[in-house]
Amino acid sequence: MKLGEFEYLLITAAARLADGAYGAAIREEIEAATGRKCSIGALYTTLDRLEAKKLLKTWMGNATPQRGGRAKRVVRVTSKGALAAKDFYDAIMRVSRGTTWAVGQTKGAT
Amino acid sequence: MKAAGWATVLFAARLLDADEREAVLGDLEEVGETSWRGLIDIFGLIARRQAGHWKNWRPWLAAFGLALPCSFALMGFSLSVSRSYLDLIGPTIFNATGITVGYGFFLLLCNLLLLGAWSWTGGFVIGSLSRRTLWVSAALSFLPCLFCLARFSIDSLSRLSLLLFLPPAILGVRRGLRIAEIKLSAAIALTVGITLLTIPTWNSSGPWIPNWALSWPAWYLLATALRSGTTA
Repeated sequence: MKLGEFEYLLITAAARLADGAYGAAIREEIEAATGRKCSIGALYTTLDRLEAKKLLKTWMGNATPQRGGRAKRVVRVTSKGALAAKDFYDAIMRVSRGTTWAVGQTKGAT
Repeated sequence: MKAAGWATVLFAARLLDADEREAVLGDLEEVGETSWRGLIDIFGLIARRQAGHWKNWRPWLAAFGLALPCSFALMGFSLSVSRSYLDLIGPTIFNATGITVGYGFFLLLCNLLLLGAWSWTGGFVIGSLSRRTLWVSAALSFLPCLFCLARFSIDSLSRLSLLLFLPPAILGVRRGLRIAEIKLSAAIALTVGITLLTIPTWNSSGPWIPNWALSWPAWYLLATALRSGTTA
């Protein structure tokens, strides 16, 4: 399963957050990692696309007071999603091998 | 967020599905987003959702293959039926001389039934194909109406005579939104009925292409009913 850059970022952020993965947390994680603004539109439409591909599973979680009593959309990465993310990561590492910006960081990649 | 700004965000968010609205508004509240930024986010999401719907062929067919051309044709047909009514029945009723039932009356009845059937089937197919893009199909149907209403200049007829097709069409849309397809028996009855009702117009010198163009929704309903009947 081929991933786009933003799809990879989203899956990776969700995987890092594990049980704490939901809309706002994933958005903050992506923005902190990339330094770019992540729009809600991009986030939620990509979540739908990845769920349709069975790379993610989402459901409505519990409401919390700091969210004004509104529920979260909780996200969990499936094994298929983890595999797709690993393939993307390996491809990036392979294609980056020998570049000046990747010296000393891609030795482990196959 | 300020109360007025937040109220605007809540109003805009009503365009989203219930679950998505809940999640998005919660996200905005949690990070303390400004109402302006929240509005941009919500409209961005709505725009992406709408764009996503248009990746499918169905909304295109409903809007540009049905709503726009058929509303023009049905307005013309509504006007024709209204004129026939005025020529045939109107004076007899007003003069209290009774109704003479002849071939002209039969033709008027056929046309009236045909107008209802074409409008209902067209509306049904628009509703079942458009779904979340219905507002575009509706706008494309009303644009010709506004254009024709503005240019209407027949003294003996009311402007409303142009819109005779609207009530059955709206009923069809409502039904089409509720159920995507009708039963095979109903589809056969509609298609046969519409085809039979067009027979008297075959010999007339009027344009026949709009007649067939207005009949295709009935054939489409029949095709979808047959397909689901074979796959069920």
